[in-house]
Amino acid sequence: MKLKRLTELSLLTAVALIIFVVELRFPDILPIQGMKLGLANIITVYAVFVYQPSETAMIVACRVLLGAMFSGTMISLFYSASGAVMCLLGMLILKKFLSLDYIWLCSVIGAIFHNIGQICAAMLMMRSTAVIWNLPPLILFGAIAGLFTGLCAQVLLKRMKNIKKL
Amino acid sequence: MTKPDKNTKIILIITGILLLLCAVLTIWIYRKPSGQRVLIIQNNQIIHEIYLASAKDQEIRIDAPGGGYNLIKIQNHEISIAEADCPDHTCMKTGILKSENIPIVCLPHKLIIRFAEEGEKF
Repeated sequence: MKLKRLTELSLLTAVALIIFVVELRFPDILPIQGMKLGLANIITVYAVFVYQPSETAMIVACRVLLGAMFSGTMISLFYSASGAVMCLLGMLILKKFLSLDYIWLCSVIGAIFHNIGQICAAMLMMRSTAVIWNLPPLILFGAIAGLFTGLCAQVLLKRMKNIKKL
Repeated sequence: MTKPDKNTKIILIITGILLLLCAVLTIWIYRKPSGQRVLIIQNNQIIHEIYLASAKDQEIRIDAPGGGYNLIKIQNHEISIAEADCPDHTCMKTGILKSENIPIVCLPHKLIIRFAEEGEKF
């Protein structure tokens, strides 16, 4: 891997981590387990459309692992990891069918996959299907949050193109 | 923005239907009336069975096997978690148990408080 590429990836990971840590300070909006804006996923969505799948996976893996360490809740690592894997798979597949104007749609579906992954992990961990009832409100809220992060990524992508031209 | 092509349209429609379904389900879940029999489940085992109609005001302390605790409060025939030392405190923020479909859950302590039908075990 070229050094420049590696530096770009590490920078993106650092930015994602900063967003993640700042977001930890936000108060919870609604009392449903796992409901978060997921602003750090702006970077994930951006990376999906700009970098190779393997490079995106590296960013996400580092962010999830370090994020769990920074937030001090290692138990949540299992949930966020399964959510991130599902989200990434969904978005990487979808990316092939969508143009750059529909990044937001890709992000919305990524958010839905993320929530499905997390609930599956919760069902495995708790050995109970009761948590599945959290899924519909989580998907709804996640879709709104995903729309926002997706639009952010779309704007970011356009700006970054201009910057890279310089 | 360019016009959506065929693939994009299909994806848009599927997403729309899914979200609509979720909206309907969410409304249905929150409107389902609550029962009377409450189960407190930890690690897949029922550790308490409470009938809210006849329950006295009380506090139940539940120690998690891996350390940590949840303090469950019953007041005016309503049940909630008053105190817990889990990192996220979602169980406390859920407040009073109201719906049959939304249990109070404490993931770190593997604790579930939920309504159950008579005779139903899980």
